[in-house]
Amino acid sequence: MKRTGFLYDERYLYHDTGSYHPETSERLPAIYKGIEEGGLLEKVVLLKAKRADLKWIETVHSTDYIRRFEEVCLCGNTCLDSTDNQMCTETFDIAFLAVGGILDAARRVMEGELDNVFCAVRPPGHHAEHSQAMGFCYFNNVAICAKYLQIEFGVERVGIIDFDVHHGNATQNTFEHDPTVFYYSIHEHPSFAFPGTGREFEKGVGKGTGFTLNSPVLPGQGDQEYKKLIKKDFIPAFEKFKPQMILVSAGFDGHEDDDMSGIRLTTQWYTWMMEIIMNMAEKFCKGRLISILEGGYCIERLPELARNHIKVLLEEK
Amino acid sequence: MFVSKSMTRKLITTTPETDVLTVGKMMKENQIRHIPVVDEGDILLGMVTDRDVRSAMSSVAHEDFDSKDERKKLSALTVKEIMTRDLVTVSPLHTLQDVLLLFQKHHYGALPVVDDKGVIKGIISIRDLVRAFINVMGIGEPGALLGIVAEDKLGQMKNIVDIITEENISMGSILVARHWEEGKRAVFPYLMTLNKARIKKKLEEAGYELLDPLEWHLDQLPRK
Repeated sequence: MKRTGFLYDERYLYHDTGSYHPETSERLPAIYKGIEEGGLLEKVVLLKAKRADLKWIETVHSTDYIRRFEEVCLCGNTCLDSTDNQMCTETFDIAFLAVGGILDAARRVMEGELDNVFCAVRPPGHHAEHSQAMGFCYFNNVAICAKYLQIEFGVERVGIIDFDVHHGNATQNTFEHDPTVFYYSIHEHPSFAFPGTGREFEKGVGKGTGFTLNSPVLPGQGDQEYKKLIKKDFIPAFEKFKPQMILVSAGFDGHEDDDMSGIRLTTQWYTWMMEIIMNMAEKFCKGRLISILEGGYCIERLPELARNHIKVLLEEK
Repeated sequence: MFVSKSMTRKLITTTPETDVLTVGKMMKENQIRHIPVVDEGDILLGMVTDRDVRSAMSSVAHEDFDSKDERKKLSALTVKEIMTRDLVTVSPLHTLQDVLLLFQKHHYGALPVVDDKGVIKGIISIRDLVRAFINVMGIGEPGALLGIVAEDKLGQMKNIVDIITEENISMGSILVARHWEEGKRAVFPYLMTLNKARIKKKLEEAGYELLDPLEWHLDQLPRK
């Protein structure tokens, strides 16, 4: 059995998105409940949030943007850059706790204390651009984590797989010039879905060409098409890249019961996907892997999805 | 939507006496396929395209020029011998709609823009139109498309826009496919939001049919 960490902190619930917002604080207790009911809480190492050092957030976001985010929060404004990004006065601090919790998890994995961690954080991150909040995201958690691994631990090749149903535009933009970070995303086709990026021909820029890969999927498709593309695109790309560490942008919003997209994945697909990723981590990364929550809005399905996710991380059959 | 706002103004032009090899090189270096031919007063005399240049060069010579005879022949050949003189031109005050319809009618890739004295002012290409339409469709910015079937009657568009506005969501564009089923239109708002589930629900509650994304198309012609 693996030594698996589970980052969960009730302070993440204080990020209040108001009424009628899909990215609600109820998501996290649903995840916790699923793991608890599966009898898995005793098997994981429960990690608490820590406040991130500003310098790490500045590896991805502009100082002007960070200050602006803080000001808008302190003024009591309830949205930043778009009405999608609903927030409260605590949001700025909680976004720091999300990043900090993840970096602490990454440190524990790199220092050999844990094999892998599932970070159940809010707010999510993969849409947050260098100087702009977007798609419910304020700081790009996964991108900051990759920078941290490069700078603090000298990891030479970081592989990011993003299976949130929406393309991680900002993660792609952060690393599209960087041949040391491979970004792979599978998502609903951008002509139908937010944010309208992640087309097949987006493959990186300059020296980073060939280190970004996108598999857009037409609405209405499900497990079969996703499995086909993972085998055709993701597996050969990561086999070739040989990441030393894998980061997962884990979004569960492609589930058939989640009304945020036209993609119809089953619960079983997510288990299948994580097993593939775990095998990859075993093969190239000494089993090291950090999974970071992005989307996933179906409160009824999140418990089982989170439970299965942790089971795969624990290698519990 | 005037041509003057979307055309390329920074022009590369040539003269009738320039040799074909030089013009071919200019096209390659600047990655362009159309070069206007002008006199000393910038009056447009003709247009030379990459196709004109290619057909002037024999197939073996056109990349390497390793044949001396071929090279000599080509440097003797001038633009005025291969250029198109009978041109369709537009004025800076033509509109993008004019140009779209002209492109459809004549299969051109680019048109020279001249003033009423015949002086070249710019060139408008399909590429310029693509840029303009990416802009008006809003797809350069993050958002998501929705497909709605609406009855072809007054006030439908207002209802749809009202529902979107009530949700406090801005729109990048609305495309309308006018000919759908009998008496119906398809409306495609581009919503600048990740959160379209709620809008979909509201539209359905208001009696609109949401289109299966795989049924979306814009270019259906009227049924006879």
